[in-house]
Amino acid sequence: MNLYRIYGITLRYLYLLRHSYDRVTDTFYWVVMDIILWGFTSLFFRQAFTGDPNLSANLIGGLILWYVVWRTQYEISVNLLEEVWNKNLINIFVSPITFSEWIAAFMISGVIKVIFMLVVASLTAYFLYGVNFLAYGKYLYVFIPLLMMSGWTVGFFISSFLLRFGTKLQTLAWSFPYLVNPFSAIFYPLSILPLIAQNIAHFVPTSYVFESARSFINTGVVDPIMLWKSLGLNILYLVIAMIFMKLSFRKVLEKGLVKLY
Amino acid sequence: MSALQVQNLTKKFKKFVAVDDISFDLKEGEILGLLGPNGAGKTTTIQMLLGALTPTSGTVSYFGKDLAKHRTEILEKVNFSSTYTNLPWLLTVRENLTYTAFLYNIHDRKDKIDEMIMQFRLKKLENQILNDLSAGQLTRVNLAKAFINNPQVLLLDEPTASLDPETAHFVREYILSQRSKNNISIIFTSHNMFEVEEICDRVLIIKEGKILADDIPTNLAKTIKSTTVSFYFEEENKELFIDYCVEKNILHNLTRNKIAVQIPEEDIPKFLGGMMQRNIHFLEISIDKPTLQDYFIQMAQTGQETHDKFETMI
Repeated sequence: MNLYRIYGITLRYLYLLRHSYDRVTDTFYWVVMDIILWGFTSLFFRQAFTGDPNLSANLIGGLILWYVVWRTQYEISVNLLEEVWNKNLINIFVSPITFSEWIAAFMISGVIKVIFMLVVASLTAYFLYGVNFLAYGKYLYVFIPLLMMSGWTVGFFISSFLLRFGTKLQTLAWSFPYLVNPFSAIFYPLSILPLIAQNIAHFVPTSYVFESARSFINTGVVDPIMLWKSLGLNILYLVIAMIFMKLSFRKVLEKGLVKLY
Repeated sequence: MSALQVQNLTKKFKKFVAVDDISFDLKEGEILGLLGPNGAGKTTTIQMLLGALTPTSGTVSYFGKDLAKHRTEILEKVNFSSTYTNLPWLLTVRENLTYTAFLYNIHDRKDKIDEMIMQFRLKKLENQILNDLSAGQLTRVNLAKAFINNPQVLLLDEPTASLDPETAHFVREYILSQRSKNNISIIFTSHNMFEVEEICDRVLIIKEGKILADDIPTNLAKTIKSTTVSFYFEEENKELFIDYCVEKNILHNLTRNKIAVQIPEEDIPKFLGGMMQRNIHFLEISIDKPTLQDYFIQMAQTGQETHDKFETMI
Protein backbone atom coordinates (compact mmCIF):
# COMPACT_ATOMS: atom_id res chain seq x y z
CA MET A 1 0.00 0.00 0.00
CA ASN A 2 1.25 3.43 -0.93
CA LEU A 3 0.40 6.10 1.62
CA TYR A 4 0.83 8.94 -0.89
CA ARG A 5 -1.92 7.58 -3.09
CA ILE A 6 -4.22 6.91 -0.14
CA TYR A 7 -3.60 10.44 1.09
CA GLY A 8 -4.27 11.79 -2.43
CA ILE A 9 -7.74 10.28 -2.64
CA THR A 10 -8.54 11.22 0.97
CA LEU A 11 -7.46 14.77 0.19
CA ARG A 12 -9.74 14.83 -2.85
CA TYR A 13 -12.78 14.20 -0.58
CA LEU A 14 -11.64 16.65 2.06
CA TYR A 15 -11.25 19.35 -0.61
CA LEU A 16 -14.83 18.62 -1.59
CA LEU A 17 -15.98 19.41 1.93
CA ARG A 18 -14.42 22.84 1.46
CA HIS A 19 -16.44 23.64 -1.67
CA SER A 20 -19.64 21.61 -1.54
CA TYR A 21 -22.44 22.95 0.64
CA ASP A 22 -24.18 19.58 0.11
CA ARG A 23 -21.34 17.79 1.83
CA VAL A 24 -21.09 20.34 4.63
CA THR A 25 -24.82 19.94 5.20
CA ASP A 26 -24.50 16.16 5.12
CA THR A 27 -21.70 16.20 7.65
CA PHE A 28 -23.02 18.69 10.19
CA TYR A 29 -26.53 19.98 9.55
CA TRP A 30 -28.64 16.81 9.72
CA VAL A 31 -27.08 15.49 12.89
CA VAL A 32 -27.55 18.83 14.64
CA MET A 33 -31.18 19.08 13.52
CA ASP A 34 -31.87 15.50 14.59
CA ILE A 35 -30.36 16.17 18.01
CA ILE A 36 -32.54 19.24 18.43
CA LEU A 37 -35.65 17.28 17.38
CA TRP A 38 -34.96 14.22 19.52
CA GLY A 39 -33.79 16.33 22.43
CA PHE A 40 -37.13 18.13 22.66
CA THR A 41 -38.99 14.87 22.07
CA SER A 42 -37.12 13.22 24.93
CA LEU A 43 -37.84 16.18 27.24
CA PHE A 44 -41.53 15.96 26.38
CA PHE A 45 -41.67 12.16 26.89
CA ARG A 46 -39.83 12.46 30.19
CA GLN A 47 -42.22 15.09 31.52
CA ALA A 48 -45.40 13.57 30.14
CA PHE A 49 -44.87 9.84 30.54
CA THR A 50 -41.81 8.31 32.07
CA GLY A 51 -39.84 10.60 34.29
CA ASP A 52 -36.83 8.47 33.28
CA PRO A 53 -33.78 10.69 33.91
CA ASN A 54 -31.75 8.69 31.36
CA LEU A 55 -34.25 9.12 28.52
CA SER A 56 -32.48 12.07 26.87
CA ALA A 57 -29.08 10.42 27.25
CA ASN A 58 -30.36 7.18 25.73
CA LEU A 59 -32.16 8.82 22.81
CA ILE A 60 -29.51 11.41 21.95
CA GLY A 61 -26.63 9.03 22.67
CA GLY A 62 -28.28 6.40 20.43
CA LEU A 63 -28.83 8.99 17.73
CA ILE A 64 -25.22 10.15 17.71
CA LEU A 65 -23.98 6.56 17.67
CA TRP A 66 -26.31 5.78 14.75
CA TYR A 67 -24.81 8.71 12.88
CA VAL A 68 -21.44 6.95 13.17
CA VAL A 69 -22.88 4.07 11.11
CA TRP A 70 -24.65 6.42 8.72
CA ARG A 71 -21.71 8.74 8.23
CA THR A 72 -19.24 5.91 7.60
CA GLN A 73 -21.39 4.14 5.00
CA TYR A 74 -22.33 7.43 3.38
CA GLU A 75 -18.69 8.40 2.89
CA ILE A 76 -18.07 5.22 0.94
CA SER A 77 -21.21 5.11 -1.20
CA VAL A 78 -21.55 8.85 -1.86
CA ASN A 79 -17.84 9.30 -2.56
CA LEU A 80 -18.17 6.60 -5.19
CA LEU A 81 -21.27 8.31 -6.56
CA GLU A 82 -19.39 11.60 -6.56
CA GLU A 83 -16.86 10.07 -8.98
CA VAL A 84 -19.66 8.75 -11.18
CA TRP A 85 -21.48 12.11 -11.18
CA ASN A 86 -18.19 13.87 -12.01
CA LYS A 87 -17.33 11.32 -14.74
CA ASN A 88 -14.03 11.05 -12.91
CA LEU A 89 -14.07 7.30 -12.24
CA ILE A 90 -11.99 6.65 -15.35
CA ASN A 91 -9.26 9.01 -14.12
CA ILE A 92 -9.11 7.07 -10.83
CA PHE A 93 -9.19 3.67 -12.54
CA VAL A 94 -6.34 4.49 -14.93
CA SER A 95 -4.13 5.99 -12.24
CA PRO A 96 -1.64 3.79 -10.39
CA ILE A 97 -3.89 3.49 -7.33
CA THR A 98 -4.73 -0.07 -6.34
CA PHE A 99 -8.11 -1.38 -5.29
CA SER A 100 -7.01 -1.72 -1.65
CA GLU A 101 -5.62 1.81 -1.58
CA TRP A 102 -8.86 3.18 -2.98
CA ILE A 103 -10.86 1.30 -0.34
CA ALA A 104 -8.48 2.43 2.41
CA ALA A 105 -8.94 6.06 1.31
CA PHE A 106 -12.72 5.72 1.54
CA MET A 107 -12.41 4.29 5.04
CA ILE A 108 -10.01 6.97 6.25
CA SER A 109 -12.17 9.69 4.74
CA GLY A 110 -15.09 8.21 6.71
CA VAL A 111 -13.09 8.23 9.95
CA ILE A 112 -12.18 11.89 9.50
CA LYS A 113 -15.77 12.92 8.78
CA VAL A 114 -17.01 10.88 11.75
CA ILE A 115 -14.59 12.74 14.01
CA PHE A 116 -15.83 16.11 12.64
CA MET A 117 -19.43 15.01 13.10
CA LEU A 118 -18.87 13.65 16.62
CA VAL A 119 -17.28 16.89 17.81
CA VAL A 120 -20.17 19.00 16.53
CA ALA A 121 -22.85 16.53 17.69
CA SER A 122 -21.35 16.12 21.17
CA LEU A 123 -21.11 19.86 21.71
CA THR A 124 -24.68 20.38 20.48
CA ALA A 125 -26.02 17.62 22.78
CA TYR A 126 -24.09 18.96 25.74
CA PHE A 127 -24.94 22.63 25.39
CA LEU A 128 -28.60 22.18 24.43
CA TYR A 129 -29.65 19.28 26.66
CA GLY A 130 -26.79 18.68 29.06
CA VAL A 131 -26.24 15.23 27.55
CA ASN A 132 -22.59 14.29 27.85
CA PHE A 133 -21.74 11.96 24.98
CA LEU A 134 -18.34 11.34 26.56
CA ALA A 135 -20.15 9.72 29.49
CA TYR A 136 -19.81 6.41 27.63
CA GLY A 137 -16.17 6.74 28.71
CA LYS A 138 -13.75 4.05 27.60
CA TYR A 139 -16.59 2.19 25.85
CA LEU A 140 -16.59 4.84 23.17
CA TYR A 141 -13.29 3.31 22.01
CA VAL A 142 -15.18 0.07 21.49
CA PHE A 143 -18.61 1.28 20.35
CA ILE A 144 -17.36 3.68 17.68
CA PRO A 145 -14.98 1.25 15.89
CA LEU A 146 -17.65 -1.47 15.95
CA LEU A 147 -20.23 0.89 14.47
CA MET A 148 -17.76 2.12 11.89
CA MET A 149 -17.10 -1.46 10.82
CA SER A 150 -20.85 -1.88 10.32
CA GLY A 151 -20.96 1.36 8.34
CA TRP A 152 -18.09 0.24 6.12
CA THR A 153 -19.85 -3.07 5.51
CA VAL A 154 -23.07 -1.35 4.45
CA GLY A 155 -21.09 1.15 2.35
CA PHE A 156 -19.19 -1.59 0.52
CA PHE A 157 -22.37 -3.51 -0.25
CA ILE A 158 -24.03 -0.38 -1.62
CA SER A 159 -20.92 0.53 -3.62
CA SER A 160 -20.80 -2.95 -5.11
CA PHE A 161 -24.32 -2.49 -6.42
CA LEU A 162 -23.48 1.01 -7.65
CA LEU A 163 -20.43 -0.28 -9.51
CA ARG A 164 -22.47 -2.96 -11.23
CA PHE A 165 -25.69 -1.11 -11.91
CA GLY A 166 -24.68 2.56 -11.94
CA THR A 167 -26.66 5.57 -10.82
CA LYS A 168 -30.06 3.96 -11.39
CA LEU A 169 -29.54 2.39 -7.96
CA GLN A 170 -28.07 5.51 -6.33
CA THR A 171 -31.03 5.78 -3.97
CA LEU A 172 -29.47 2.85 -2.08
CA ALA A 173 -26.90 5.28 -0.69
CA TRP A 174 -29.66 6.97 1.30
CA SER A 175 -32.20 4.20 1.76
CA PHE A 176 -30.24 1.01 2.36
CA PRO A 177 -28.95 1.86 5.88
CA TYR A 178 -32.56 2.20 7.03
CA LEU A 179 -33.00 -1.53 6.40
CA VAL A 180 -30.56 -2.12 9.26
CA ASN A 181 -32.02 0.65 11.41
CA PRO A 182 -35.13 -1.08 12.89
CA PHE A 183 -33.13 -4.20 13.82
CA SER A 184 -30.40 -2.15 15.47
CA ALA A 185 -32.67 -1.11 18.33
CA ILE A 186 -31.21 2.37 18.41
CA PHE A 187 -33.89 4.08 20.51
CA TYR A 188 -35.69 1.13 22.09
CA PRO A 189 -34.66 -2.13 23.74
CA LEU A 190 -34.47 -5.21 21.60
CA SER A 191 -37.20 -6.85 23.67
CA ILE A 192 -39.75 -4.40 22.19
CA LEU A 193 -39.35 -5.99 18.75
CA PRO A 194 -41.56 -8.91 17.66
CA LEU A 195 -39.88 -12.27 18.10
CA ILE A 196 -39.06 -12.69 14.42
CA ALA A 197 -37.44 -9.25 14.32
CA GLN A 198 -35.48 -10.08 17.48
CA ASN A 199 -34.18 -13.22 15.79
CA ILE A 200 -33.07 -11.18 12.81
CA ALA A 201 -31.47 -8.59 15.14
CA HIS A 202 -29.21 -11.32 16.56
CA PHE A 203 -27.46 -11.30 13.17
CA VAL A 204 -27.17 -7.50 13.09
CA PRO A 205 -23.90 -6.41 14.74
CA THR A 206 -25.14 -2.90 15.52
CA SER A 207 -27.93 -4.26 17.77
CA TYR A 208 -25.34 -5.51 20.30
CA VAL A 209 -23.67 -2.11 20.42
CA PHE A 210 -26.89 -0.15 20.99
CA GLU A 211 -28.04 -2.63 23.64
CA SER A 212 -24.67 -2.27 25.36
CA ALA A 213 -24.79 1.52 25.15
CA ARG A 214 -28.23 1.59 26.75
CA SER A 215 -27.16 -0.88 29.39
CA PHE A 216 -24.19 1.30 30.26
CA ILE A 217 -26.32 4.45 30.61
CA ASN A 218 -28.99 2.68 32.67
CA THR A 219 -26.89 0.37 34.85
CA GLY A 220 -23.25 1.27 34.27
CA VAL A 221 -22.60 -2.33 33.19
CA VAL A 222 -21.75 -3.72 29.75
CA ASP A 223 -21.72 -7.41 28.91
CA PRO A 224 -18.44 -8.00 27.03
CA ILE A 225 -19.92 -11.05 25.30
CA MET A 226 -22.28 -8.72 23.45
CA LEU A 227 -19.37 -6.72 22.14
CA TRP A 228 -17.44 -9.83 21.10
CA LYS A 229 -20.52 -11.03 19.19
CA SER A 230 -20.72 -7.67 17.46
CA LEU A 231 -17.03 -7.82 16.57
CA GLY A 232 -17.31 -11.35 15.20
CA LEU A 233 -20.30 -10.50 13.02
CA ASN A 234 -18.68 -7.27 11.89
CA ILE A 235 -15.49 -9.02 10.80
CA LEU A 236 -17.48 -11.69 8.96
CA TYR A 237 -19.72 -9.22 7.14
CA LEU A 238 -16.90 -6.81 6.38
CA VAL A 239 -14.83 -9.54 4.77
CA ILE A 240 -17.84 -10.67 2.70
CA ALA A 241 -18.61 -7.06 1.70
CA MET A 242 -15.02 -6.43 0.61
CA ILE A 243 -14.91 -9.63 -1.41
CA PHE A 244 -18.24 -8.67 -3.01
CA MET A 245 -16.88 -5.23 -3.85
CA LYS A 246 -13.68 -6.72 -5.28
CA LEU A 247 -15.77 -9.04 -7.47
CA SER A 248 -17.92 -6.10 -8.59
CA PHE A 249 -14.76 -4.15 -9.40
CA ARG A 250 -13.54 -7.08 -11.48
CA LYS A 251 -16.91 -7.26 -13.24
CA VAL A 252 -16.63 -3.56 -14.05
CA LEU A 253 -13.25 -4.16 -15.67
CA GLU A 254 -14.60 -7.13 -17.64
CA LYS A 255 -17.78 -5.46 -18.84
CA GLY A 256 -16.33 -2.01 -19.38
CA LEU A 257 -18.91 -0.38 -17.15
CA VAL A 258 -16.62 2.58 -16.53
CA LYS A 259 -17.30 4.68 -19.55
CA LEU A 260 -14.55 6.78 -21.00
CA TYR A 261 -17.08 9.47 -21.78
CA MET B 1 12.46 -1.28 -27.40
CA SER B 2 8.79 -0.51 -27.92
CA ALA B 3 7.17 1.71 -25.34
CA LEU B 4 3.93 -0.18 -25.89
CA GLN B 5 3.27 -3.51 -27.47
CA VAL B 6 -0.18 -4.87 -28.18
CA GLN B 7 -0.47 -8.49 -29.18
CA ASN B 8 -3.57 -10.25 -30.47
CA LEU B 9 -5.84 -8.04 -28.41
CA THR B 10 -9.47 -9.11 -28.51
CA LYS B 11 -12.51 -7.94 -26.62
CA LYS B 12 -15.86 -9.66 -26.89
CA PHE B 13 -19.07 -8.56 -25.23
CA LYS B 14 -21.08 -11.79 -25.36
CA LYS B 15 -21.25 -12.50 -29.10
CA PHE B 16 -20.25 -9.00 -30.22
CA VAL B 17 -16.58 -8.65 -31.08
CA ALA B 18 -15.61 -5.05 -30.31
CA VAL B 19 -11.88 -5.51 -30.89
CA ASP B 20 -10.77 -8.37 -33.09
CA ASP B 21 -7.26 -9.71 -32.65
CA ILE B 22 -5.31 -6.49 -33.17
CA SER B 23 -1.56 -6.19 -32.79
CA PHE B 24 0.60 -3.10 -33.01
CA ASP B 25 3.39 -1.36 -31.21
CA LEU B 26 4.31 2.18 -30.24
CA LYS B 27 7.96 3.07 -30.52
CA GLU B 28 9.76 5.30 -28.05
CA GLY B 29 9.21 8.93 -28.96
CA GLU B 30 6.63 8.07 -31.61
CA ILE B 31 3.25 9.77 -32.03
CA LEU B 32 0.74 7.22 -33.25
CA GLY B 33 -2.66 8.33 -34.50
CA LEU B 34 -5.53 6.00 -33.68
CA LEU B 35 -8.32 6.70 -36.12
CA GLY B 36 -11.59 5.13 -36.98
CA PRO B 37 -15.25 5.94 -37.46
CA ASN B 38 -17.62 5.90 -34.49
CA GLY B 39 -18.11 2.39 -33.13
CA ALA B 40 -14.88 1.17 -34.72
CA GLY B 41 -13.46 -0.12 -31.44
CA LYS B 42 -11.18 2.84 -30.69
CA THR B 43 -12.60 3.56 -27.25
CA THR B 44 -12.59 -0.12 -26.28
CA THR B 45 -8.96 -0.33 -27.38
CA ILE B 46 -8.00 2.76 -25.38
CA GLN B 47 -9.78 1.39 -22.30
CA MET B 48 -7.79 -1.84 -22.58
CA LEU B 49 -4.54 0.06 -23.09
CA LEU B 50 -5.25 1.93 -19.86
CA GLY B 51 -6.20 -1.15 -17.85
CA ALA B 52 -9.79 0.04 -17.41
CA LEU B 53 -11.13 -2.92 -19.36
CA THR B 54 -9.96 -6.51 -19.19
CA PRO B 55 -9.23 -8.01 -22.63
CA THR B 56 -10.93 -11.28 -23.56
CA SER B 57 -7.56 -12.39 -24.92
CA GLY B 58 -4.24 -10.91 -25.91
CA THR B 59 -1.73 -8.80 -24.04
CA VAL B 60 -0.83 -5.17 -23.51
CA SER B 61 2.80 -4.57 -22.51
CA TYR B 62 4.54 -1.33 -21.68
CA PHE B 63 8.34 -1.17 -21.64
CA GLY B 64 8.40 -4.96 -22.03
CA LYS B 65 6.19 -5.58 -18.99
CA ASP B 66 2.70 -7.01 -19.02
CA LEU B 67 0.12 -4.43 -17.91
CA ALA B 68 -2.01 -7.07 -16.19
CA LYS B 69 0.92 -8.11 -13.97
CA HIS B 70 2.68 -4.77 -13.41
CA ARG B 71 -0.30 -2.40 -13.39
CA THR B 72 0.80 0.07 -10.70
CA GLU B 73 4.42 0.27 -11.84
CA ILE B 74 3.36 0.87 -15.45
CA LEU B 75 0.55 3.34 -14.77
CA GLU B 76 2.96 5.58 -12.83
CA LYS B 77 4.66 6.19 -16.19
CA VAL B 78 1.52 6.48 -18.29
CA ASN B 79 -1.19 9.13 -18.37
CA PHE B 80 -4.37 9.92 -20.19
CA SER B 81 -6.41 12.92 -21.17
CA SER B 82 -9.73 13.12 -22.93
CA THR B 83 -11.79 16.15 -23.77
CA TYR B 84 -14.83 14.08 -22.86
CA THR B 85 -13.93 13.04 -19.33
CA ASN B 86 -14.13 15.41 -16.40
CA LEU B 87 -12.05 16.04 -13.38
CA PRO B 88 -13.86 16.78 -10.09
CA TRP B 89 -15.73 19.96 -10.95
CA LEU B 90 -16.05 21.34 -7.41
CA LEU B 91 -12.30 21.28 -6.81
CA THR B 92 -10.06 24.15 -7.88
CA VAL B 93 -7.45 23.75 -10.59
CA ARG B 94 -4.67 23.59 -8.00
CA GLU B 95 -6.56 21.12 -5.80
CA ASN B 96 -7.16 18.85 -8.78
CA LEU B 97 -3.49 18.88 -9.69
CA THR B 98 -2.47 18.40 -6.05
CA TYR B 99 -4.50 15.27 -5.45
CA THR B 100 -3.47 13.92 -8.86
CA ALA B 101 0.19 14.52 -7.99
CA PHE B 102 -0.28 12.35 -4.89
CA LEU B 103 -1.94 9.63 -6.97
CA TYR B 104 1.09 9.54 -9.26
CA ASN B 105 3.50 9.53 -6.34
CA ILE B 106 5.18 12.79 -7.36
CA HIS B 107 7.52 13.94 -4.63
CA ASP B 108 8.38 17.46 -5.86
CA ARG B 109 4.67 18.20 -6.03
CA LYS B 110 4.64 21.94 -5.51
CA ASP B 111 7.29 22.64 -8.15
CA LYS B 112 5.65 20.29 -10.63
CA ILE B 113 2.19 21.77 -10.08
CA ASP B 114 3.57 25.31 -10.44
CA GLU B 115 5.30 24.24 -13.66
CA MET B 116 2.09 22.76 -15.08
CA ILE B 117 0.09 25.83 -14.08
CA MET B 118 2.59 28.08 -15.85
CA GLN B 119 2.97 25.92 -18.94
CA PHE B 120 -0.75 25.56 -19.51
CA ARG B 121 -1.47 29.23 -18.79
CA LEU B 122 -3.56 28.46 -15.73
CA LYS B 123 -2.04 30.94 -13.27
CA LYS B 124 -5.10 33.21 -13.17
CA LEU B 125 -7.42 30.22 -12.87
CA GLU B 126 -5.57 28.15 -10.28
CA ASN B 127 -7.96 28.93 -7.43
CA GLN B 128 -11.15 28.65 -9.45
CA ILE B 129 -13.29 25.54 -9.27
CA LEU B 130 -13.56 23.66 -12.55
CA ASN B 131 -17.29 24.24 -12.70
CA ASP B 132 -16.56 27.90 -13.46
CA LEU B 133 -14.16 27.25 -16.35
CA SER B 134 -14.83 27.28 -20.09
CA ALA B 135 -14.48 24.15 -22.21
CA GLY B 136 -11.11 25.31 -23.52
CA GLN B 137 -9.82 26.07 -20.03
CA LEU B 138 -10.98 22.63 -18.85
CA THR B 139 -9.07 21.00 -21.69
CA ARG B 140 -5.94 22.80 -20.54
CA VAL B 141 -6.46 21.54 -16.98
CA ASN B 142 -6.96 18.02 -18.33
CA LEU B 143 -3.71 18.29 -20.23
CA ALA B 144 -1.88 19.66 -17.19
CA LYS B 145 -3.14 16.61 -15.29
CA ALA B 146 -1.95 14.34 -18.11
CA PHE B 147 1.59 15.76 -18.15
CA ILE B 148 2.01 16.07 -14.39
CA ASN B 149 3.79 12.74 -13.89
CA ASN B 150 6.25 13.23 -16.79
CA PRO B 151 4.65 10.29 -18.56
CA GLN B 152 6.67 8.09 -20.88
CA VAL B 153 3.50 7.05 -22.66
CA LEU B 154 0.55 9.36 -23.08
CA LEU B 155 -2.90 8.63 -24.47
CA LEU B 156 -4.52 11.80 -25.74
CA ASP B 157 -8.10 11.54 -26.86
CA GLU B 158 -9.07 14.54 -28.98
CA PRO B 159 -7.00 16.94 -26.89
CA THR B 160 -7.77 19.94 -29.06
CA ALA B 161 -11.48 19.29 -29.65
CA SER B 162 -12.85 22.32 -27.82
CA LEU B 163 -9.98 24.74 -28.21
CA ASP B 164 -9.81 27.92 -30.22
CA PRO B 165 -7.30 27.78 -33.12
CA GLU B 166 -4.56 29.64 -31.24
CA THR B 167 -4.79 27.44 -28.14
CA ALA B 168 -5.08 24.30 -30.30
CA HIS B 169 -1.89 25.37 -32.05
CA PHE B 170 -0.23 25.94 -28.66
CA VAL B 171 -1.28 22.45 -27.52
CA ARG B 172 0.06 20.81 -30.68
CA GLU B 173 3.34 22.67 -30.30
CA TYR B 174 3.49 21.66 -26.62
CA ILE B 175 2.91 18.00 -27.46
CA LEU B 176 5.60 18.08 -30.14
CA SER B 177 8.06 19.89 -27.89
CA GLN B 178 7.48 17.40 -25.06
CA ARG B 179 8.03 14.57 -27.47
CA SER B 180 11.37 15.94 -28.64
CA LYS B 181 12.43 17.05 -25.13
CA ASN B 182 11.39 13.98 -23.14
CA ASN B 183 11.01 11.37 -25.88
CA ILE B 184 7.38 10.73 -24.86
CA SER B 185 5.47 8.15 -26.86
CA ILE B 186 1.96 9.29 -27.62
CA ILE B 187 -1.23 7.70 -28.86
CA PHE B 188 -3.35 10.44 -30.32
CA THR B 189 -6.93 10.42 -31.50
CA SER B 190 -8.62 13.26 -33.29
CA HIS B 191 -11.33 13.86 -35.84
CA ASN B 192 -9.24 16.67 -37.29
CA MET B 193 -7.35 14.85 -40.02
CA PHE B 194 -5.17 17.84 -40.86
CA GLU B 195 -4.01 17.87 -37.25
CA VAL B 196 -3.29 14.13 -37.40
CA GLU B 197 -1.28 14.62 -40.58
CA GLU B 198 0.62 17.43 -38.88
CA ILE B 199 1.65 15.69 -35.70
CA CYS B 200 1.39 11.90 -36.11
CA ASP B 201 4.36 9.88 -37.30
CA ARG B 202 2.15 6.91 -38.06
CA VAL B 203 -1.55 6.21 -38.19
CA LEU B 204 -3.57 3.13 -37.33
CA ILE B 205 -6.96 2.92 -38.95
CA ILE B 206 -9.44 0.79 -37.03
CA LYS B 207 -12.81 -0.30 -38.32
CA GLU B 208 -15.17 -2.95 -36.96
CA GLY B 209 -12.57 -3.91 -34.40
CA LYS B 210 -9.86 -4.65 -36.94
CA ILE B 211 -6.81 -2.71 -38.06
CA LEU B 212 -7.41 -1.71 -41.68
CA ALA B 213 -4.20 0.20 -42.20
CA ASP B 214 -0.97 0.99 -40.40
CA ASP B 215 1.18 3.52 -42.20
CA ILE B 216 2.46 7.09 -42.23
CA PRO B 217 -0.31 9.62 -43.02
CA THR B 218 1.11 10.68 -46.41
CA ASN B 219 1.31 7.08 -47.60
CA LEU B 220 -2.30 6.49 -46.63
CA ALA B 221 -3.36 9.58 -48.55
CA LYS B 222 -1.33 8.45 -51.56
CA THR B 223 -3.25 5.18 -51.70
CA ILE B 224 -6.13 7.18 -53.08
CA LYS B 225 -5.25 7.28 -56.74
CA SER B 226 -7.81 9.83 -57.78
CA THR B 227 -7.24 13.54 -57.47
CA THR B 228 -10.13 15.95 -57.20
CA VAL B 229 -10.10 18.46 -60.10
CA SER B 230 -12.65 21.26 -59.88
CA PHE B 231 -13.65 23.37 -62.89
CA TYR B 232 -15.66 26.59 -63.08
CA PHE B 233 -17.55 27.13 -66.35
CA GLU B 234 -19.75 29.47 -68.26
CA GLU B 235 -23.20 27.92 -68.81
CA GLU B 236 -22.61 26.73 -72.42
CA ASN B 237 -19.36 24.95 -71.54
CA LYS B 238 -20.92 23.25 -68.57
CA GLU B 239 -23.16 21.08 -70.75
CA LEU B 240 -20.28 20.20 -73.06
CA PHE B 241 -18.16 19.20 -70.10
CA ILE B 242 -20.85 16.98 -68.62
CA ASP B 243 -21.22 15.24 -72.00
CA TYR B 244 -17.46 14.78 -72.07
CA CYS B 245 -17.50 13.20 -68.58
CA VAL B 246 -20.35 10.86 -69.54
CA GLU B 247 -18.50 9.86 -72.71
CA LYS B 248 -15.37 9.09 -70.70
CA ASN B 249 -17.37 7.40 -67.96
CA ILE B 250 -16.02 9.78 -65.30
CA LEU B 251 -17.93 10.44 -62.12
CA HIS B 252 -18.68 14.14 -61.71
CA ASN B 253 -20.21 16.26 -58.99
CA LEU B 254 -22.06 19.44 -59.94
CA THR B 255 -22.52 22.36 -57.52
CA ARG B 256 -23.58 25.74 -58.98
CA ASN B 257 -20.93 26.64 -61.57
CA LYS B 258 -18.40 24.20 -60.21
CA ILE B 259 -18.00 20.67 -61.45
CA ALA B 260 -15.62 18.36 -59.59
CA VAL B 261 -14.26 15.16 -61.07
CA GLN B 262 -11.99 12.53 -59.61
CA ILE B 263 -9.21 11.30 -61.85
CA PRO B 264 -5.76 9.84 -61.28
CA GLU B 265 -3.10 12.53 -61.05
CA GLU B 266 -1.11 11.16 -63.98
CA ASP B 267 -4.19 11.29 -66.23
CA ILE B 268 -4.87 15.00 -65.69
CA PRO B 269 -2.86 16.22 -68.76
CA LYS B 270 -4.61 13.69 -71.03
CA PHE B 271 -7.98 14.72 -69.61
CA LEU B 272 -7.27 18.42 -70.14
CA GLY B 273 -6.00 17.66 -73.66
CA GLY B 274 -9.33 16.01 -74.46
CA MET B 275 -11.14 19.11 -73.27
CA MET B 276 -9.00 21.32 -75.57
CA GLN B 277 -9.80 19.11 -78.54
CA ARG B 278 -13.52 19.54 -77.84
CA ASN B 279 -13.19 23.29 -77.29
CA ILE B 280 -14.43 23.12 -73.73
CA HIS B 281 -13.17 26.23 -71.97
CA PHE B 282 -13.16 26.72 -68.24
CA LEU B 283 -12.94 29.89 -66.18
CA GLU B 284 -10.95 28.47 -63.30
CA ILE B 285 -9.42 25.18 -62.25
CA SER B 286 -8.23 23.84 -58.88
CA ILE B 287 -6.48 20.54 -58.22
CA ASP B 288 -6.70 19.04 -54.74
CA LYS B 289 -4.37 16.19 -53.95
CA PRO B 290 -5.87 13.46 -51.77
CA THR B 291 -5.47 13.95 -48.04
CA LEU B 292 -5.78 11.73 -44.98
CA GLN B 293 -9.31 13.09 -44.65
CA ASP B 294 -10.17 11.76 -48.13
CA TYR B 295 -8.72 8.41 -47.16
CA PHE B 296 -10.70 8.37 -43.93
CA ILE B 297 -13.99 9.30 -45.61
CA GLN B 298 -13.62 6.70 -48.32
CA MET B 299 -12.60 4.07 -45.78
CA ALA B 300 -15.58 4.91 -43.58
CA GLN B 301 -18.00 4.88 -46.50
CA THR B 302 -16.89 1.70 -48.17
CA GLY B 303 -15.92 -0.45 -45.28
CA GLN B 304 -13.13 -1.76 -47.45
CA GLU B 305 -9.47 -1.07 -47.26
CA THR B 306 -8.92 1.82 -49.59
CA HIS B 307 -5.60 0.73 -51.00
CA ASP B 308 -5.90 0.68 -54.75
CA LYS B 309 -9.67 0.73 -54.72
CA PHE B 310 -10.51 4.24 -55.75
CA GLU B 311 -9.11 4.47 -59.20
CA THR B 312 -11.42 6.32 -61.45
CA MET B 313 -11.79 5.00 -64.95
CA ILE B 314 -10.79 7.35 -67.74
